[in-house]
Amino acid sequence: MSEKKQQVSRRQFLNYTLTGVGGFMAASMLAPMVRFAIDPVLTASTAGEMQAVVDVSEITTDPQRFDWTVEQVDAWYTSDVTHSAWVYKNENDEIVPLSPTCTHLGCSVSWAGNEDYPDQFYCPCHDGRYQKDGTNVADTPPPAPLALYEYEVRDGTLYLGQPVPRGGV
Amino acid sequence: MMKWEADDLPKYFEAKEYIDTVLVPLIPIQLSNEADSLKLANYQKTLQIIAREAERDFAGRMLLSPVYTYVQAASYQKEQERINQWIQLLFKEDFKHVFFLTFDVKWKKEEKGLDGTLLWLPGTVIENYQSVLTKKWINEQTSQLNELIKSFW
Ligand code: FES
Repeated sequence: MSEKKQQVSRRQFLNYTLTGVGGFMAASMLAPMVRFAIDPVLTASTAGEMQAVVDVSEITTDPQRFDWTVEQVDAWYTSDVTHSAWVYKNENDEIVPLSPTCTHLGCSVSWAGNEDYPDQFYCPCHDGRYQKDGTNVADTPPPAPLALYEYEVRDGTLYLGQPVPRGGV
Repeated sequence: MMKWEADDLPKYFEAKEYIDTVLVPLIPIQLSNEADSLKLANYQKTLQIIAREAERDFAGRMLLSPVYTYVQAASYQKEQERINQWIQLLFKEDFKHVFFLTFDVKWKKEEKGLDGTLLWLPGTVIENYQSVLTKKWINEQTSQLNELIKSFW
C-alpha cells in the first residue's frame, strides 16, 4: 500500500516536472513572437536591441541629456532600467551620442557640470573631466574617453544600441 | 553600480578609497489599516526608485545601503538608537558622509539625534509609474536630491 502510494507520488512528481519544462519551453518560444507583435520596429533592427531615443530634430550642437527606459528581464524578475546619453551634432553635422558613465568609477557626467569648465563634461565624484568629444582630460582621474553609443537614424528618429568603450590616451 | 549586491561589492572593495558616501533609505511599514499600508507600500517603491537613480549618478562614490525597515507604530527614539548602531558598526570607519533618505516626516523631529544627514522628501502616492508625469516627477526629485548630496562633498 505504502509502496503504491510512493509510486503514484513519484509519477506525479514526474508529471509536474514535465509540465514545468513544457511550460517553460512554451514561454520561451512565445517571447520572440510577442516582441514581434508589439514592436515590429525593434525586430527589424539588425543590431537587435536598438532603442528609439529622440527625434533627430531635437538634437542641437550643444550636448543634451536624453533618457530612455528598457525593460530588463532577469532570471527571476523584470525591472525597468533607465539609460542616458549625451547627444549633440558636431561641426560636420554628425551625431555624437556619448555615454554618461565616467570611465573612472562609473558616476554620471554632465555637460558643463562645473561652472569653471563650461565646455567640458564634468564628473562630480572625483572631479573627472572630458572634452566635448568625450576625450578624457589629462591629470583628472578618468583613464579613458567616454564610450560612444552605436547608433542609427531611421525615419527621423535616433536609435541607440550599446555603448562602445574607447581606448585610453 | 555600488549596491548591496554580490556583483557590486567586489567593485566596492576594489575602489574603497574613493567611496566615501553611503545612502541609507529609511522605510516604514505597517499592516493595521489597508489605506495606510497601501500608501506605505507605494512610498517604498518610489523611494527605492529614487535611491537607485541617485546611485546611478554617483556609483563611483556612493554605496547604496540595504533599506532600513521599521514598524511605523514603533518608538522612533528606539529606532534612532538602532539606526545609529547600524551606522557605527557598518559605516562609521570608512564613510565620511552618511545620508538617510526618507518620505517619513516623523524623522524630522529626530533629525538631530541621527548619526548622519537626513534627506527628507515629501512623498506622493503614484498611481502610474509609466506615465510621463511620474517620470518627470521622479526626475525632479532625483536631481534635487543629487544637488543636495553634491553640496556636502
Ligand atoms: S567616477 Fe568620475 S572621476 Fe571618479
